[in-house]
Amino acid sequence: MALLFRSSLIQSLTKTTRPMWMAMTSTTRRNMSSHNKETDEEFDERWKAYFERPSIDGWDIRQGINHMNRLDLIPEPEIISACLQACRRVNDHSLAVRYLETIRYKSNAISKQVWPWILQEIRPTLDKIGVATPEDLGYDKPELALKSVDDM
Amino acid sequence: MSGFLLRQVKLSQPQLASLLQHQCRAEASTSSSATVVQNNPVVLDNRKPAPQIDADRMRMHPRIGNREIVGYGLKGKPEYFDLVMFPCPSIRWEADSPAIAELRKKEKGDWKQLSTAEKKQLYRSSFRQTFEEFTAPTGIWKWAIGWTLLSIAGATLAYDGWRRICYRFEGPDSMKDAKLKKQLEYHIAARQGPMTGLASKWDYETGTWKK
Repeated sequence: MALLFRSSLIQSLTKTTRPMWMAMTSTTRRNMSSHNKETDEEFDERWKAYFERPSIDGWDIRQGINHMNRLDLIPEPEIISACLQACRRVNDHSLAVRYLETIRYKSNAISKQVWPWILQEIRPTLDKIGVATPEDLGYDKPELALKSVDDM
Repeated sequence: MSGFLLRQVKLSQPQLASLLQHQCRAEASTSSSATVVQNNPVVLDNRKPAPQIDADRMRMHPRIGNREIVGYGLKGKPEYFDLVMFPCPSIRWEADSPAIAELRKKEKGDWKQLSTAEKKQLYRSSFRQTFEEFTAPTGIWKWAIGWTLLSIAGATLAYDGWRRICYRFEGPDSMKDAKLKKQLEYHIAARQGPMTGLASKWDYETGTWKK
């Protein structure tokens, strides 16, 4: 509860500095409807708590990733770290790489500067867990040329 | 209910089937589940007949084989897909071979011990294509523009050929020889082209062409 009611001063101190284009991307949640008055911090905390559950399983992680991917935002680096930790708990490295790939794809749609920033922010988690980024595996370029399912 | 008991249970009752479904989902959700779906020490082999499992698998096994069900996916069906909107499909791409099972055991330990090649192997075992691969440009726009132009040309040619065949247009009578001759006489009489043109080639004294 204390997290939800942090004073704005502490919030500005603890927030990492973001480049200007981050203000233009939709990482903030806009309240278009009258019944959804969740603030950004509440949103972040909710998703972080979802992934930080110690007994989370692969099923719920995949649900969370799929759901979050459909929202019109790129998750905060804290949420990304929490999800990677969850993947570590269920011992699924490929899922972590897939998740990083989705973040990368989504951020490249906005600007080429987003992905390096996100990597920089989650670098401690990456180093601690030992997840390979898509660039490490060579998946920032297509590797196999398989037939598309639409052509079969 | 232990995994052993589940095997003995008949699936005729719908409640039991749904209970099994729930159980299997709960247990199959960990990435290296070894209980209901793979309840024998030997790793599932695609050449062997599939184990008798729950309603989900019974229904979908002819389509998905021995692949592990790991999530909800798109609509709750155990199908594989590569989509940008839904990055995590409900089943793995490949069934667990013994080699992959070894890697899965290694995956439980420190991920820094996995080499890049092993990580790539694990990824390809779980997924068919990477994001870059299924979002790569296909070049279909060239095919589309080419065929559009070809069909426009073909339609134009067909229309012209049809008009030529189906309609007989008689030429105007001013193109016949007698009329053309008269026109020539009038041009010469009117001194058209006196310096370098038509009338300059006509000899007006003799009334014939100049030699």
